Amino acid sequence: MIKKILQLLKVVKPGDCLLISLFCILVIVSIGFFWNLPQGEYLEIYKNNKLLTTYTLNQKISKKIDGSKGTTEIIINDGRARFSSSPCSKKYCIHQAWINKANQTIICIPNKISISIVGKEKKYDSVNY
Amino acid sequence: MRLNNLLVYFLVVFFVGCSDNKIQQQEDYIFGTIIGIKIYNETKIKAEKTSREIFNEFHRLHKLLHPWEKSLITDINDAIFKGKYITIDNEEVISIIKDAKNLETQTQNYFNPAIGKLIKLWGFHSNDFNQEVIPKEEEIERLVLLKPSMNSIKINDKILKSNKKNVQIDLGGYAKGYALDQAKKILNKNDIKNALINIGGNILAFGKNGEKYWKVGIQHPRKPNVIATIDLKPGWAIGTSGDYQRYIIIDNVRYSHLIDPKTGYPASNSQSATVLVPPSENVGVKSDVFSKPLFIANKKNKMAVAKALNINDFIIIMNDNLIFISKSMNDKIIWEETIDKKNITIIESS
Repeated sequence: MIKKILQLLKVVKPGDCLLISLFCILVIVSIGFFWNLPQGEYLEIYKNNKLLTTYTLNQKISKKIDGSKGTTEIIINDGRARFSSSPCSKKYCIHQAWINKANQTIICIPNKISISIVGKEKKYDSVNY
Repeated sequence: MRLNNLLVYFLVVFFVGCSDNKIQQQEDYIFGTIIGIKIYNETKIKAEKTSREIFNEFHRLHKLLHPWEKSLITDINDAIFKGKYITIDNEEVISIIKDAKNLETQTQNYFNPAIGKLIKLWGFHSNDFNQEVIPKEEEIERLVLLKPSMNSIKINDKILKSNKKNVQIDLGGYAKGYALDQAKKILNKNDIKNALINIGGNILAFGKNGEKYWKVGIQHPRKPNVIATIDLKPGWAIGTSGDYQRYIIIDNVRYSHLIDPKTGYPASNSQSATVLVPPSENVGVKSDVFSKPLFIANKKNKMAVAKALNINDFIIIMNDNLIFISKSMNDKIIWEETIDKKNITIIESS
């Protein structure tokens, strides 16, 4: 057993070590990056790919939306949002649970409804007046 | 050794790739308005140095061209008023005056930088426009009948003279545009690739915002939001003349700073006129100057003047909230959802 490990170590060249460590760094940095996504400010609700409404996440509401299969319910609470009921059969959208970071999206394909968190970012870089 | 090189290479690629799309942003207050500079993806030192150089240039122009605080322009105006010759030892100012003369002719006198006296009469030669009375009718009429025009100014080898004493140069509708063109030169000189310059609403796109175009919102003249957004492609500029930034209200009537040289009264048929100008050497000047004729001319003449000036992209919001937009502009913008589409008329270019 120990012999085998020693043999393996002989095969591993410095370049391999470099590659392995680079991938390790990449994984660690990615985790840090995705965990620190900016908190969202608004929830956008889309129906058939069209923006239906935008809600601020600073409220507690539940909203019923009629999609192509039936009524979907979306709730906003504590700065986050989720699907709470849906007429679709698999309920993937509900299993996604809460989202609260900018650019997070849940799509319910059967009922053609999706929700997306958006950040403070403005829609333009400057204003002409 | 090879391994070390490889390591350095990987680390450089890694960290360059990781640094997020940084936009360096600087602001200053010059020309009586806010100046915003955004520079994309440059080092902090380089972005700050370039911005400072641009702000310094704007301060220089502000002092050089100021219409009522002592400047070379007020010196020229004093000499004109006294009927004297003046020797101008400044080639830049001479070329600006010549350019302004040409633009006055080109815009059929709608842009007329010789009406400084009328602008002063309406109280817009101050930082806080707090005039509370309308000027006397006969005084307005007197100044209009004198037909002040840049064409009465003659420049011969640095010597300037006007054959009309009542000509008073006011480059208010020109200086910010000229400053945009100067900023462009400074960005080029400093090897900046991507930036967005906003001088009191007049905007020049230099390069892009990374992979995307610079996106600009067009202000609603009566509401605290934008009416539309537009991608400003590299080298393009956008300018608006409006009655909602510099104006006075007397007896519930709004008087804008945009005075119709033909009547002597503030033009009142529009709320705003926006022009989008394709890349050219003086794109900034055009974006500043060309919105004036579209704002001031009466409804019938607006389209004719746009055509004469070759302005393909414009939006004009009339006093009754009707919006006239050229087809070409309409293809480029995205209307905000709150805008009532019923009010929009699309003008096909003929």
